[in-house]
Formats: sequence, structure tokens, C-alpha cells
Amino acid sequence: MGRLLAALGRIQAWVWASVFLGLVLVQLTLVSIPQPAPGAVSLSKATVTLAGRAQDAPETIALPHVWDDEQPPWQGDARYAFEWPRGVGPSQSLALYLPRVGARFRVWFNDRLIDEASWSTADYVDTSVVPHLVDLPSELIRPAAQDNRLEIEVRGQLLRKSGLSPISIGPREALQARYQRVFWWQVHATWMVVACSVVVALLGGLIWLQSRERVFAFLAAASLAWALRLGLTPLVHPPMPFELWFYLHKLSFTVYCGFIYLFLWDLFDHPPGRLRSLGTGILWVCPLWLVVVILREDYDLYRVWTGVLVVVAATALALMFRRARWGLDGKQRLLLVAGVVTVITGVRDFGVVQLDWPGDADLRWMPVGSLVFLLTLASVLVQRTADYVQQVSRLNQALEQRVKQKESELHAAFERLRAAERRQVLEDERRRLTRDMHDGLGSQLVQALNVVRSPDGADPAVVSAMLNHALEELRMTLDSLEPLEGDLPAILGMLRRRIAPALDAAGIELDWQVEEVPAITVNGEGMESRGVMHLFRCLQEVFANIVKHSQASRVTVRTWVEGEHAMLGVTDNGRGLGEGFRQGGRGLSHIRLRAAEIGALVQFEDLRPGTRVRFRFATRGE
Amino acid sequence: MHTSIYLIEDDTTVRDFVLRSLQTRPDWSLVGYSSSFAHAQAAAADAAANVYLVDLGLPDGRGEDLLKSLSRSNPGAELLVFTVFGDESRLIEAIEAGATGYVLKGCSPQELVAAIEQIQEGGAPISSLLARLLLKRLRAAQGGPSPAPVESHQDGGVLLSEREGDVLKLVAQGYVNKEIARKLDISGHTVGSHIKNLYRKLAVHTRVQVVRVAQERGLV
Repeated sequence: MGRLLAALGRIQAWVWASVFLGLVLVQLTLVSIPQPAPGAVSLSKATVTLAGRAQDAPETIALPHVWDDEQPPWQGDARYAFEWPRGVGPSQSLALYLPRVGARFRVWFNDRLIDEASWSTADYVDTSVVPHLVDLPSELIRPAAQDNRLEIEVRGQLLRKSGLSPISIGPREALQARYQRVFWWQVHATWMVVACSVVVALLGGLIWLQSRERVFAFLAAASLAWALRLGLTPLVHPPMPFELWFYLHKLSFTVYCGFIYLFLWDLFDHPPGRLRSLGTGILWVCPLWLVVVILREDYDLYRVWTGVLVVVAATALALMFRRARWGLDGKQRLLLVAGVVTVITGVRDFGVVQLDWPGDADLRWMPVGSLVFLLTLASVLVQRTADYVQQVSRLNQALEQRVKQKESELHAAFERLRAAERRQVLEDERRRLTRDMHDGLGSQLVQALNVVRSPDGADPAVVSAMLNHALEELRMTLDSLEPLEGDLPAILGMLRRRIAPALDAAGIELDWQVEEVPAITVNGEGMESRGVMHLFRCLQEVFANIVKHSQASRVTVRTWVEGEHAMLGVTDNGRGLGEGFRQGGRGLSHIRLRAAEIGALVQFEDLRPGTRVRFRFATRGE
Repeated sequence: MHTSIYLIEDDTTVRDFVLRSLQTRPDWSLVGYSSSFAHAQAAAADAAANVYLVDLGLPDGRGEDLLKSLSRSNPGAELLVFTVFGDESRLIEAIEAGATGYVLKGCSPQELVAAIEQIQEGGAPISSLLARLLLKRLRAAQGGPSPAPVESHQDGGVLLSEREGDVLKLVAQGYVNKEIARKLDISGHTVGSHIKNLYRKLAVHTRVQVVRVAQERGLV
């Protein structure tokens, strides 16, 4: 069972559709096998008199009688007279069935008017679009057949193929069944097809509005035209003048054909070319051509146009078949099947109605065929849209995956970068510490070692001082590693601990006037340990100069704010710049160099007496 | 008051240095000595000492843990941290553990004696960096960078009085006790006791916090 289902699932849609449509055609054929109503007699011969025409005797004609086919076409009123069939008597309830009569008619029986349809209505009327059933009052039926006179008066309408089809007389019940069937087929079925077409048109239009893919617009336009065409067809009293009705009725058919043609062209991906302009061509020419037809009141002109449409349809089919030779996908095969079925219904109707092919001319296949075609088109488009949606979702998934991948790549790259930065920072810090240890602590320890090893014997006081100095150096390096965040007073406080003993020893009084100032920055960043170390060294150098060379008795350390700068002044009352600092020239350039490293401006002022060293630091406020 | 000292230190040269330094003060005595964490834990609390010199870098344990237990068992004793570098971030941990002061190893005998005297007299050694860290720590405990004076919480949380804040700020700016006393118009002694007070507050605050956390977690 499961295997059977799987096998069925593998069969493509166009195969199913072929089988289904084949069955539909068979069903249509069975339904429209001509079946005379039981007990009824069909009359297809009549004598006719056209009012106002010079005529010796009533003309005998075969039905159907089409006025537009006469030369010249008939206009006005005509009266058909029938011979009463033998064997039809008053014994039963009788009726008269008129499958096609119009544009208006009256029925006279034994000189009594028994029915009329819109005979005197002023507006445009066409009774021929629906079948008619007329009761024959039994009291009027005379027993002898030759005594009964049945006459049908017809008032024609040019271009509407007015006239009369063969009529049937027979038992009322049988004829009513026949009448109802044809009425359902011609009116109700048509309205159903109209409704379906409108739905397809709306769907196509909405999808077009969303997707802007013109193939949907073509489908919508074709469906709408077809709905209009069919909607106008079964109207006995169209609420419009005949000319307008005729114009719309014929134009909508051409519009339908034109847009279907363009639709197929796009759907089969034909390259733009001359043959495509066949589709647009009929859309442009038809409105003008129909004006000429109406003005000339010549149905043959419309027949010419029908020929053009046949050429267009044939071209479309030929193109589809030609395309089929290159290989078609499932959707295109499905369309081909539906197209062929539609053409078959059209050809069948033409053959049965115009060429007397066998079949019930009252039952037209074309509405059914066109509906099948429209639904097939719609289903193909739905399938196509579904394919697009799937494609889009696949694309989205791929895109999402790609974005995720890129994101993780970016993340990894970022992590690598950060790791590299961390390594760099560590490396920088390591180098600085190594250099500091090497220049400061290392060299002091080496000096101490040399003193201890000197053959004269080491002076414990000297060694002790040296080691103390080395320890202080180490402590300063460690201090610089504390998170100071550019807090200048705290940095100076730390420094004070280091320099105070030396100043004490030299007998220099320290005047501490440090105040809070904004945090100092280096290149816009908070000062880090490297900067702190540079500042330490700068100030160490300044104080070393003071202790060694200035002969000062007092030094003032002061901080203040100047604009958006933090200022630091170290002022002594010694000999001044000239003597002291000249000797320490190398120290001065060191100070400048280190100050530049931390973005500080340094100034030396000779106060005579005394010297002032001013540092200007950047702060966050800048 | 008689000063009896207990030394917890694994370096024998440092012990010798301490002994040498104490010779200058015959009235002081070294009542005990531990060269390991384990020995100190067993013996230090029972020694009748009122000054403990504690090395933070013991070979078999953390000096901070010793400080904690000593501050609990001998609340009246002074706990001096004996450290090589005086690196402030480590000192502040020691203070939180209960230390009331510190002495730098490598100081002269006179400096060691002066430090012990200072602490006996109610003062406390401090550096500008330590003051800076204390300010930060206490303000954070107070719940904001504002130096607003808040005496104390009902739960005994720490907090910086206005005067204490001023003292700390000046220390952080590098001023020495004498200068601070002049600037604030108080005695040098008061400056020292403010600082010592702050050390105690920080230690108590830390202990209170630990207890509170323990209570919150249902451990106590």
C-alpha cells in the first residue's frame, strides 16, 4: 500500500492533469450527445416572411436561421410559420422549447398570442442568450394537425446572429427537463466560471502588487477580461446600449486572448521578439477594429478578427510545442496539457455550432475549458510562488549561516587582536621593568658588590647606604606599579618618602604645598606606571640637582591648576640656574626628555636667587 | 607600660636585627619568636606580648591569616606587619585582617624602635599611597565617592568621619603628621590616633562584612 502511494507520488502533476482532463472531456462528450426529449418532435424547417421585404410567397428555410448570414443581413421583424407535427395531440400537456431565438420574439398559436419576450422593450434586449420554454394551452390545440398554426415572430438585432434555431414540441415535462439542463449550463455554469475567474484575477493582482512580477499582472488581466466576457454573455437585458455591450463583449475576449498570449510568452521564457508583438498587437488593434465593426454593422468584419485571434492562438500553441521539443519542465507540460484541452473545447464548440459536427450545440464546452485553463495557470503560479518562497527561505538560511560564520570569525579575530594587545602590553611592561632593574637596581647592586670586594675592605656605612639605595629603587619601581590613575598629589606623596631623608641629610627644609589637582593624562589616557616612573625619575633628578648643586636651605613643592592644566613647581632658594644647573647640564636634558615622554612641558626659571622648575601636565579637562 | 614583643619571622637575619635593635631599649623584651606559621598559630596567642611583629611572607602560611586570629584572640595587642616593600595593596589586606601598623624591613634599628613607640603611643604609620587606597576603600564601603561625613551605621559599618577624611586626604597628598596637625589645627597625636582608628574601622568593617555575608548564606 505504502509502495503504491510512493509510486503514485512520483508521478508528475501534468500526468495527473492529463488523465483528469481526459476524463473531463469524456464526460463532456457523454453529456452533450444529442438526445431528443422523449416524445418530443424537433422542427427544423419553417416558412418565413420578413416584414417590409417584397416577397411573392413565404420563403421556406432550414433552421438554424441566422440573420447576419443573409445577404444582405436581415433586420426588422420576421414571422416563422411551422407545420404542426402529426401525432401530437391535445391528449397531453404540451410545451414548445426554443433553444435559441431572438433578439426578441412572440409566439402565436392558432392566432392567439401565447408568449412574448421583451417584444416592445425600448432598451437593448437579446433573448437568444438563454433558452425558452413556452406552454401550449391545451384548449387551443385542435385535434387535426393541419388545423393548428404555430407562428413565431422574431425581431432581430444586427451583429447578434439573431434568428431561430430548430424548435421542439412535445410533452411539457420532458421539454422542461431539457430546458432546465440547458439553462443551468448556459447561465448558472457561466456565472460559476465568472466567479472563479474573478478569484483568480484577484489572486493574480494581489501577488503582482506584492512581487511586481508582470506575469501575474498578465494572468490577472486575462482572468478579469474573461470574467467580464462571460458575465456579459447570459444577460438578456444588459443595462447598456447594444453598441457598448457588443464592444465590451468582443473586446474582453480579445483582451483575454492577448494577455494569455503574453502570459505564456513570459512563463515559457521566450526571448522578446516579433512574435511577442502579436500579443500586444491584438490588444492595440482590437479596440479600433471593433469600432469599425460597429460602424459598418458587418458581422463578417468580426469574423475576420476572429481569424486573427485563431492565428494568435495557433502561434501560441505552436510556440509551446516548439518549446516542448527542447524539453519542458513539469509546470510547462501541465500548461501545455491545459492549453490543448482548452483549444479542444473551443474547436469542438466551433465545429458543433458552425459546422454541424455531431453534438449538442446548446451545451458549450468553452466555459469549462477556459476555467480549466485559468485554474491551471493559477496553480502553476501558486507553485512558482511557493518555489520562490522556498528559494528565499533557503537563501535566508544560507545567509544566516554566513552571517553567523562571519560573526564568529570576527569574534575570533577580535579575540586574537586582544590577546596580541595583552601580550604587547605585558611585553612593554616587562621591557620597562627589565630596563629599570638594569639601569637602577642592577647597577647599584653591582656597585655595592664592587665596594664589598675592593681589596681595601668595604666601609659598612658605604655598603649599607648603597644597599639602602637599591632597596629604595626597588620600592619606587613597585610603587609605580600601584594604580595611581594620574593622581599627582599621591605620586608626589610617594616621592616625598624617597627624597625626604636626602633633603634632611643636606639640611634642606621641605615646604610641602601640594593641593588636589585634576588627574593628569598622557596622550589623553590616564597615566600608567611607565609614566609614573618617568615622573619619579624627572623629580629625582630635580631634587638631586638641588641637593648636590644648589646650596639651597629650603625647597618648596607646590601644585596648582592653571586653565585646564595641572601645574607642579619645585622652587629652591639656592644659587640659581647659572651655576648649579649648568654643571648638571646632562641632568637637564634628561629631565626634558622624560617630561616629553609623559607629554609634560617643563620650564627652568632662574629666580636669582633660586631656581624654579615648572611642569605643566595635561588633564582630562583638555 | 612594659613593652613585650613577639616576633613571627622566618628570616634569622631579621630576627638578629630585631634583637640588636631591642638592645637599645633594655626595658623592652622579646617574649617569643616563631619561625613558621604553624608554630605561631600554636604559640603566639598565648604569649604575653602586647606588640606582635608579623612577617607576611611565611613559608607555610599567610601572614594575613595569623593577623586575623591574633586580632581576635588578643584584641588589645598591636599587630605590626613586618614587610620588605610596603606595597600598599598588600598592606591594606593586612589592615583589613587586623594589622594596626607596619614596619619596613631594611629600616635602621632606630626606625624600628620609633615605629614601635609610635604605635604604643596611639599613632600609626601610613604612606600617602596607603592613605589613598584607604580613602577609596572606605568611600566604597560608604557607598559612593562622596566624602560626606557619616558617623556610623547601626550595624557597625565603617565609616569615615569628616575629620578622618581630611586627615586621610592630606596624607594622600604627601603631607606628614606634623604638617597635617598644623593645617587642621589639631595635635600630632590626634592625627596618629585618627589613622589608627581608621585601621581598626577597616578591620572591623571587614569582619562585620564577613559575618554579614556568612549570615546571609546561612553559615552562622
